[in-house]
Amino acid sequence: MTLVRSELLKIRTTSTWWIFGLISLPLWALALLFNWLQTDALAGGDLGEVPADQADQVQAISSADSLAANLYTNGQFFGLLIVLLLGIVVVTSEFFHQTVTTTFLTAPHRTAVMLAKLVAAGVLALLFWVVTTVLNLIFGPMILNATNVGTQLGSGEVWTSVALNGLAYLLWSVLGVGLGVLIRSQIGATVTGILLYLGGTIGAAIAIGLLAGRFGDWINQLQLLVPSLASSLMVAGTEIPGNPPRWAGAAVLIGYAVVTGAIGVATIRKRDIS
Amino acid sequence: MMSDGQPRPSAGTGQIIVSGLTKQYKTVRAVDNLSFTVEPGRVTGFLGPNGAGKTTTLRMLLNLVTPSAGTATIGGSRYADLPDPLRTVGAVLEASSAHKGRTGINHLRVICAAAGLPKERADEALALVGLSPAAKRKFKGYSLGMKQRLGIAAAMLGNPQVLILDEPANGLDPEGIRWMRGFLKGLAAEGRTVLVSSHLLSEMQLLADDVVIIAAGKLVRQGPVDQVMASMTHGVRVRVRTPQADELATVLREQSATVDANPHGALLVSGVDAPTVGRLALAAKVELHELTTERPDLEGVFLELTAGKAEIR
Repeated sequence: MTLVRSELLKIRTTSTWWIFGLISLPLWALALLFNWLQTDALAGGDLGEVPADQADQVQAISSADSLAANLYTNGQFFGLLIVLLLGIVVVTSEFFHQTVTTTFLTAPHRTAVMLAKLVAAGVLALLFWVVTTVLNLIFGPMILNATNVGTQLGSGEVWTSVALNGLAYLLWSVLGVGLGVLIRSQIGATVTGILLYLGGTIGAAIAIGLLAGRFGDWINQLQLLVPSLASSLMVAGTEIPGNPPRWAGAAVLIGYAVVTGAIGVATIRKRDIS
Repeated sequence: MMSDGQPRPSAGTGQIIVSGLTKQYKTVRAVDNLSFTVEPGRVTGFLGPNGAGKTTTLRMLLNLVTPSAGTATIGGSRYADLPDPLRTVGAVLEASSAHKGRTGINHLRVICAAAGLPKERADEALALVGLSPAAKRKFKGYSLGMKQRLGIAAAMLGNPQVLILDEPANGLDPEGIRWMRGFLKGLAAEGRTVLVSSHLLSEMQLLADDVVIIAAGKLVRQGPVDQVMASMTHGVRVRVRTPQADELATVLREQSATVDANPHGALLVSGVDAPTVGRLALAAKVELHELTTERPDLEGVFLELTAGKAEIR
């Protein structure tokens, strides 16, 4: 517990957290604008011609629940990237500033230190989730009312999405800590994290789309294996026809987090600090 | 010196025992079957040329680097087994080991939090090293000397029985070095164990009671400074330069002096003093270019002991 307090104090006594917070705000606002337009279009039903084979999917994401869930988890795309980077920085800054020596002198039990880092990064990630969610609960209803969808705050489906969104924030911060241990260089880990997240999301989505067109729909199931797609699947407001189920996305992401965290802890236990 | 008095009795004797310590990297044996002891109540200088394995040894002692073989204990326990490491051992390893954006006082508070020490200790330790006025300044604004003092403050947080410092005089100005000398001697006088690595030999001569000299990862000599210096093959020597070296050597040997040629072409004479050498040379009509009395200092002893072992490995 003392170690967790120390890790949180480390975060609090440097400027990283509020700089990341400041970066998050405009990204959140941008996402809100985008989601507003999207909600408006889907709620109005003015999408023009929808190909018959996609009608089911459009139907699913146009449901009131889905639209509301999407708005209440607004900012997730960049939010997850931010907490991933925070998780990375929690570890790599120790190597960058050579404070890792002092850290392990103070607490020679490295497993305990790493667990404390995971908890601290998780607490910070959940804090980002809470702030984002509070903002979403303020602005989401305005948009939903303006587009005549209704706030949907009584819907269990919506709250499930909000909770799963929190889980996603938590898991991505764990992924960040693991990645930070594996790639000690602050710049190296940050770049890898961003590429993995953005490249993983966009690149894999395109690749899987193309392959699915070529080899058949079963390829779509593979998107589960891409962490970022698994997490977006996990928080999707409703089951979308043709996609793997939500719980599978959650299971895969938890798997990734556990594996990265475990590899991170195991690695640091044996590493020479010099 | 410390506001809260003598070291804690729970810290044990504070004796450091290094036994058969070895670190093999892929191609280099950085530390090679090294054994020595460090006694409480004394300042022990840990000397060696750059790359001799001093830092690796200290890091193995502190559980930061895993030894390939051998053990290192502090008060009978391995560092990793100490129940309260910061209350037993204080270590200063790198001057720059604090987050650049964090203030000095917050750096210490983070450590206090992790070690379960009251955060007031941070203020006390900062006052102890004279850094209180810079408490709320960020680390990146610190001078090298201030960074070094902050490192010492961090090591003193737990009021430890044992102090281990790696090259603490680096970057200190003369005033800072004098302060450090007094500080460390004071700690040893209180009965604490103080182990200081350095390549600044003149400084060690003023500071250390004992020395441990290593080269190429191996122990070269250990003991009290006086004894190590006295144990050298020579005491006072006379250095002579002459174009007629052989002639002079013969004359001197007749007076039962010991004569060696040093690598730079001079003769090193012991057993007779400089005036005698001069008189004998004059009588033998030998031309002298240099006649100097050499008193051994730690630096000379050190260079002699480690000669040829400091090559790049």
